[in-house]
Amino acid sequence: MTLPRFSEPVSASEKPETGGVFKIYSYADYLNPDVLKEFGKREGVEVKVTTFDSVDEAFSKLSTAGLEFDVIVSTPDQLSKLVGRKLLQPLNEELVPNLEKNIWEEIQSPFYDVGSRYTVPYVVYTTGIGWRNDKVNVDPAGLENGWNALWDATSQRGKTQLLDDKREALGMAMLREGQPNLNTASPELINIALAALNELAQNVRPKVQISAYETLPAGRITIGQLWSGDLLSGAISYLPKGTPASVMSYWYQAEGGPVFNDILTVAAASTKPIIAHRFLNYMMEPQVAYDNFVNFVGYQPPQKSLDAAKLFDEGILPKSLSNAVVTQEAYAAGNGFLTLTAEGEQAWEKAWSKFRAG
Amino acid sequence: MGEGLVEVPGGLTMQERRIWGLFAAPGMVWLGLFFVVAFYAVISVGLGNINTLYQPIPYWNPLDWNVGYLVQAIESVVPGGQNWAVVVRSVIYILTAIIGALLIGYPVAYYASRHAGRWRGLVVVLLILPFWISYIMRMFAWTNLLAPDGYGSKILSALSIDSLFSSIGLLDGTDWLGGQGITVIIALIYGYVPFFILPLFASLDRIDQRVIEAARDLGAPPPSSFWRVILPMSKPGIRAGLVLVALPMAGDYYTQTLMSGSPSTSMIGNTINDYIQGGPDKSLGAAMTILLSVVLLFFMLYYLRTLRREQGEVAA
Repeated sequence: MTLPRFSEPVSASEKPETGGVFKIYSYADYLNPDVLKEFGKREGVEVKVTTFDSVDEAFSKLSTAGLEFDVIVSTPDQLSKLVGRKLLQPLNEELVPNLEKNIWEEIQSPFYDVGSRYTVPYVVYTTGIGWRNDKVNVDPAGLENGWNALWDATSQRGKTQLLDDKREALGMAMLREGQPNLNTASPELINIALAALNELAQNVRPKVQISAYETLPAGRITIGQLWSGDLLSGAISYLPKGTPASVMSYWYQAEGGPVFNDILTVAAASTKPIIAHRFLNYMMEPQVAYDNFVNFVGYQPPQKSLDAAKLFDEGILPKSLSNAVVTQEAYAAGNGFLTLTAEGEQAWEKAWSKFRAG
Repeated sequence: MGEGLVEVPGGLTMQERRIWGLFAAPGMVWLGLFFVVAFYAVISVGLGNINTLYQPIPYWNPLDWNVGYLVQAIESVVPGGQNWAVVVRSVIYILTAIIGALLIGYPVAYYASRHAGRWRGLVVVLLILPFWISYIMRMFAWTNLLAPDGYGSKILSALSIDSLFSSIGLLDGTDWLGGQGITVIIALIYGYVPFFILPLFASLDRIDQRVIEAARDLGAPPPSSFWRVILPMSKPGIRAGLVLVALPMAGDYYTQTLMSGSPSTSMIGNTINDYIQGGPDKSLGAAMTILLSVVLLFFMLYYLRTLRREQGEVAA
């Protein structure tokens, strides 16, 4: 999809803005504070991050509360809404040369934003099942449909997680029901997914949250629907003393499972558009992307130079979690959550609030 | 002022009234800005419409108000509606929690007001102490204590309290934070009981010692003087305390989020939060808020009416 430009991008010849607060809107714990500090020092600004729990929440606050940010972290399925509401400004590609230089070719001009008019990719991830192999004995890879491992985990009632994201949660239920179209607007298909989620709630009583990067290493969650980066992030930053990373395992559906990327955008309301472009470019520098990934976030940047296999071989990341990185092939074969039609959005939301009401 | 002074009942002149009225002004402005205007915005959204991107369009003019979402909200909370289960659950949780607060809070308030003796000052300080720490922080503390390897869980397990609760069906398994209704109820009691105790303490404290002495002099044994004198006289305090804790409980959502997080223990506040934070149902969320407020207002009015009647009786 080629998104319309409602205004001209900022000119590359303009001088960077100086001083003041540089504001980023993001998930919590999703940017390495050291990396941000370094950027602030480099550009002479104070970097401040405001956090949201879900991209739906972020969109609703951006569009109704008139919050002003310079950079917004989001997902491709939100993109046309964000552009449609004129909440983003078009990018000047001259100011983000690292996109072409360092990023996987597949995402340089992605299908959701042909020509990268508004976005650069941030990190790539898969959605799958993460579990503590010292507390629960499951093998999703050995099942005909791996997602059943979560539905079967009745012994772990209350210690399970379902992602607090209507697309991910209902989408997983669709895959479990053998329905591969994650962007359907069909009420019947959505209702089948809802029934499967209700069955899940009955059997394993999941917590609906996104904090398993912390609760899985701590053992409060023993199995759940997780993003691949949660496993690595958990292994890097949240393991209690004496717990080895090898207690965590991960599985994802290699064929047709969710594989996607998050995006970085410049807000229409940005008062520092040049610095915002420079931030996007900065996050795509190989060393910065590496530090952000390996030393904190655990979500992997789609960098050409990053050899994930080497990180596991060298013991920088735990070998047992080597399937938590996304290969270029897996990305290319992946299934993504795209913007729904208005009716589709309504149908998904209805099912989700029905589920949330218990 | 240029106006003649008018004699008004109560012995205050118009001018004096105006001056005293000024003292109330900051409070009125504050309330106006942060409650009346905010609540009007909620009404305007709940009785408004949405645009093609499912974002709410508030209708500020009451003549334009559209009751569609309110009707939807009402339909969702009647038997058979989507939120019926949540409503029933919320009522059960809140009723259980206020009964719990009464059973725990009354003896404490009674002791503090009548029998604490020289420890009275200390007891009152202890009662106020929980207010020093924010409600959310106190709940967060419990999420650590009640985690499977937390001290709280270990103690409860050592005392076999978890297996006792399990055996009578109040706890499913032994994981207190695993989406258990009982944990949410206990957390609600824990969180709100100080708000119950303080007004009750004040009310018990106001009971004239001579009335109790009179009951004794007339031959009432202690249990009887409690039942027939102290308890009836502390009724306004009990009622004030119950209203004070039940109203915020009805809108509470973070207790459930922190202590359970499971849809099987969702309360009405969670549902509203989901509507408003989530996707295209913000107007419905606002309509649910209006509905909840109306129900609570009804209870509040009932409370005020009984209060006035009781005061009338005392005066008579």
